[in-house]
Amino acid sequence: MTKPGTMMGKEAFMQNIARRLGRSEPLREAPARMLKGVPEFYRDRKLHGDELVEEFSRNWMALSGKVLLVSEAEAAVTIGAYAREICKEHGIERAARWDHPELNKLGLDETLAEDGIAVLPWRPDGAEIAGLADGGANPDSSGAAGNWARRSALLRAAETCRLGIVWPDVAIANTATLALFSHGGKGRSVSLLTDALLAVFRADQLVTRMGEAFERFKAAHPTLESMPSSLNLITGPSRSADIENDLTIGIHGPGKVYAVIIRP
Amino acid sequence: MKTFLSIAERHKAKLVAKGKSMVSEEIHLNHHLEERGIEAIETDLGEYILQLARETPSHLIIPAIHKNKSQIAALFEEDAGRPFEPETKVLAAYARQKLRNYFLEADIGLTGCNFGVAESGSITLVSNEGNGRMVSTLPKVHVVVMGMERLVPTFEDLEVVLNMLARSATGQKLTTYTSILTGPKQEGDLDGPEELHVIILDNGRSNQLGDPIFQEVLNCIRCAACLNVCPVYRHVGGHTYGTVYSGPIGAVLTPLLQQDMKEAGTLAYASSLCGACYEACPVKIPLHDMLVHLRHRKVKMKLTSLPERIAFKSYATMFGNITLYKLATRSAYYAQLPLVREGKIKSGPPPLSGWTQSRFMPMLPKRSFRDRWAELQQELAQRKTDGAAPNGTRKEEKR
Ligand code: SF4
Repeated sequence: MTKPGTMMGKEAFMQNIARRLGRSEPLREAPARMLKGVPEFYRDRKLHGDELVEEFSRNWMALSGKVLLVSEAEAAVTIGAYAREICKEHGIERAARWDHPELNKLGLDETLAEDGIAVLPWRPDGAEIAGLADGGANPDSSGAAGNWARRSALLRAAETCRLGIVWPDVAIANTATLALFSHGGKGRSVSLLTDALLAVFRADQLVTRMGEAFERFKAAHPTLESMPSSLNLITGPSRSADIENDLTIGIHGPGKVYAVIIRP
Repeated sequence: MKTFLSIAERHKAKLVAKGKSMVSEEIHLNHHLEERGIEAIETDLGEYILQLARETPSHLIIPAIHKNKSQIAALFEEDAGRPFEPETKVLAAYARQKLRNYFLEADIGLTGCNFGVAESGSITLVSNEGNGRMVSTLPKVHVVVMGMERLVPTFEDLEVVLNMLARSATGQKLTTYTSILTGPKQEGDLDGPEELHVIILDNGRSNQLGDPIFQEVLNCIRCAACLNVCPVYRHVGGHTYGTVYSGPIGAVLTPLLQQDMKEAGTLAYASSLCGACYEACPVKIPLHDMLVHLRHRKVKMKLTSLPERIAFKSYATMFGNITLYKLATRSAYYAQLPLVREGKIKSGPPPLSGWTQSRFMPMLPKRSFRDRWAELQQELAQRKTDGAAPNGTRKEEKR
């Protein structure tokens, strides 16, 4: 539940718009519209089953992402091994993950612990659980406001983790996009602060286009009050072309992105 | 501006981390903050480079497109006090580490807004780097400055503009990060800002509402496709425009927003009217038509120079009357004679002298095309009956 906000200057602002448009006062209702949303041919293109998996994978790989397909039966074992491999490849010692029932079932914390990798679950006591309660000092915060030192142990610990593990709510095939409805245990920071991102989801969470992801988002949160404060769409690795139009990967967010799709 | 400053004051803010926001450039926000001793750091890589260089953006999407690696390395060297190799990877790594620190320490995160969604009161931020997400997630206060025309009615419409923006701006299917933010952090959330403020900015926009010619300019999604295809922009670069928005959209938007035809209005002449901008524009704003209308407005307001007005007046009179036209072409032949050397005009009197400084002008022939027309027609008919001239060449007409 969000507290309702406040608004200043509305009357004059709306009155001005009405005047410019030749109305005596602002409209009380939204005007009728002929067109709404995407064109029909685009809306009607619907992929199914393996087509979705294929289209997502192709697009994700085109963005330098990696894809692993696993069966439901082997999910826990294979994904655990995959996460260990990723950590080994990049020399990662700490990982953060969503506190999500599906991820909890995979038992990644135990698997990664075998390699001495601490896993931070995104919950209020996460830092204590992972043994990272004091590990969040930012080495570079010399002389700056000192704000960071006063933030939660969880947030500071997350900033030291180099792998983030999430369970996206929906995945969009035609653009290879993960849709993350972030609230509670599904923290925004987990998919943002790390160097690498591992996203695990089931094939039936795939949709063809963005509009369907929005439909699911709205269906899951029918009232404004229940809407999460952040819906994040992630399409590949963080990138920039700001230096001589030369593509750099991993500028602020994760530069290595992995998707695991669980098939029945 | 006042609203933002009061928020900053309430939080005793010293450090503001900024996501990319053209709107904040419009109101010279950085400058105002600096005056009050508040440090505002640009966190978009390109904007950060420009901030170190104390320059302004030259492109909507790639603001530091005019800087090369060595120049950037030199800027970073000055900042860090150690040398850098002019390698993209090295430079980007430094920026990542440096800017991360600002994200963590900032009192306020400030962003623009790519699209607002009316039905849910959401604001949408897109970025490829992820700085937009950083500044809207980490600092305790997030302030959004949104141009009033950024709104779409529903999520259905958001799908359209998000796909359009990425494809037109960078050719990506979708920008890497799209955050749709609805209110501040909620109960049970363990990150996100505690306060979210949205400042909706008019700054000349509402003046375009109801304008039969220019209202459409408010449809612009700031994709910069029109800049990339504009032959004038490509030659002169963004800085030449001397304004926040450059290229064709800048040439139209600036005089409109600033309500200034005299100075900003001259931008309407920075175009060849080729229409490439219109063709590239995903929302089909007839920029080239608008430029003509702006020129028209400028002329009507008598803002062009007196000699120019007289010249065009007489031009109009002459070309509108056949007798006068004939007289003018004939007298032009005689008037040019004192200037002609070896069949060419090599240096003319002002205002022609500027033009002839670097090139010659062929002399006007004694008989104009119009005079020769009847003859030429006859010749053509003759040739048709004779069969085509050998190799398609034609006899050189003797003058
Ligand atoms: S005018 Fe059209 S092409 Fe130019 S930035 Fe705006 S939307 Fe893009």
